[in-house]
Amino acid sequence: MGMTPAEIAALTTEYAAREPQDLIKLALERFEKIAISFSGAEDVVLIDMATRIRPDLMVFSLDTGRLHSETYRFLEKVRERYHLKLEGLAPDALAVERLVRDKGLFSFYKDGHNECCGIRKVAPLRRKLATLDAWITGQRKDQSPSTRSNVPVIQEDAAFSTPERRIVKFNPLANWSSAQVWQYIRANDVPYNALHERGFISIGCEPCTRPVLPNQHERVGRWWWEEATIKECGLHVPATKADR
Amino acid sequence: MITFVKKIKSDGSACRKCADVEARLQTAGLMSRIDHIAIADERAPDSEGMRLAAELGVDSAPFFIVTTGGSRTVYTSYVKMLNEVLKAKATEEEEAKEILERNNDLDFL
Repeated sequence: MGMTPAEIAALTTEYAAREPQDLIKLALERFEKIAISFSGAEDVVLIDMATRIRPDLMVFSLDTGRLHSETYRFLEKVRERYHLKLEGLAPDALAVERLVRDKGLFSFYKDGHNECCGIRKVAPLRRKLATLDAWITGQRKDQSPSTRSNVPVIQEDAAFSTPERRIVKFNPLANWSSAQVWQYIRANDVPYNALHERGFISIGCEPCTRPVLPNQHERVGRWWWEEATIKECGLHVPATKADR
Repeated sequence: MITFVKKIKSDGSACRKCADVEARLQTAGLMSRIDHIAIADERAPDSEGMRLAAELGVDSAPFFIVTTGGSRTVYTSYVKMLNEVLKAKATEEEEAKEILERNNDLDFL
């Protein structure tokens, strides 16, 4: 059973101020072919909440091959704690071989992260989502003022839906702050990635993630070398005297 | 007729994404199908590419203009232009990269 765009819009409004658990319950009730995308970071709270509703939950992680060893250990810890069949989505081996052969192991520092992330994350995710009707993510508005400030609690997935197949994305934590997430982790004795104890907030691949200093935004810890060029594709017309 | 609009940045250097798209067209042997290249030079608001961008309401580069008869269709997606106009299949890597470029909230992955 899917959701029409009108239903998605109505439910987004209805659930905008509801608790993450309500959204997870709705998602699991409405969709059979649904999974949680688990990054190996704070989004572990989704698994803790969801397994209380559906213990045989489908969970996947994007195993890029470049994660920290701490993250791999954490994935195992979560698998055991929640008795999950945690699926690691691996990138296409030939695509990775081509990338490394042609551009080396650290091409992202020079060419930007999109090509590597495309191969190691987006392509495997796209293959997985082609088998699902919906997915649940840990996206939160406070994670990035520039890219997440408008994340709704439910949305039609514009990136992965096709004209033939609508995919619904649930973001139960959209309106939670990092502080609320950590309050939940402590209150419910939820396991967490050891990297958090070393100053990491947002956790991705090892070469592209670094700890942040106190009061620095978590986004500073990811792809920090790209900030200056992030808007490179825009066409900027210099202001003329008449415009000023 | 297919026009490829590529950008020169305000510091005079080539736009990286435009160069990447051009290289992919070359590698795929499809550059010969492009009839015209228009430069959008950020230092020159009246350059052909900048005028076309303003006229067509496009705010990112590169992009393609496909003119058929009297009508013009703008493609800001390289993959879509490849599929619909050149009838060529983009690779999975090209498609994945473009998904990421066009959906910047996916940086959470």
